[in-house]
Amino acid sequence: MSTILKIFAFPASILIICLGISTILGGHITPGGGFQGGAIIAAGFIFCAIVYGFEKTPFKFTHRFMAALESIGAIGYILLGLAGILFSGYFLYNIGVDLYNLLPGMSSVFNYPDAVHAGIIPYLNILIGLKVLVGLSAVVITFLEFKGE
Amino acid sequence: MLYIGPSLFGFLIGFILGTRIKEDEEVRFPISSYIVILIAAILMAWQLGPFPYYKDLPLASGFIAAFIGIIAGRIIRG
Repeated sequence: MSTILKIFAFPASILIICLGISTILGGHITPGGGFQGGAIIAAGFIFCAIVYGFEKTPFKFTHRFMAALESIGAIGYILLGLAGILFSGYFLYNIGVDLYNLLPGMSSVFNYPDAVHAGIIPYLNILIGLKVLVGLSAVVITFLEFKGE
Repeated sequence: MLYIGPSLFGFLIGFILGTRIKEDEEVRFPISSYIVILIAAILMAWQLGPFPYYKDLPLASGFIAAFIGIIAGRIIRG
């Protein structure tokens, strides 16, 4: 790739990744959320991987790192759902808000500390964001590593 | 009052991703380029503004926290 692209890609991808994280964090009150934010973060990584090549990209996503993020996303989602079953009897019940008043005094534990108090929804957005980020990055890494027959 | 939620989780996700930044000899950016990126990030956060119900800062606190997290991860574990 050209020198101009090599100078531009890494700083731009840092800003793209920040925008993706910001999208994930605003998922409960603005358009967007875990999937869209994860896709934006993956786009930042893919931008670097295409411009610099997979071997020399500044973002080194190893297999272990991606497996760990994917596992944290999946297990965290299931655990939050099971916490709903455990405390209220309903899978993925929003125990941080407790709209149906099933758990008096419990909602402060899983409350998300911001202006709207959305309960477990922001946590689910973050976990889904991690999963989507890894999933889309893994597809592109597989394509980039393919040498052909 | 600064809301802890977006600041904390923005920093955490940014830190995790920042630890994966490993520049080699061919792709190396000096500190001055990171300062330029910081100025661009502050301008972007200012233009994005706070989320609809957030009135804590005039700029997107999650965005800035993510940038600080990436730089912290790059310095500490990168």
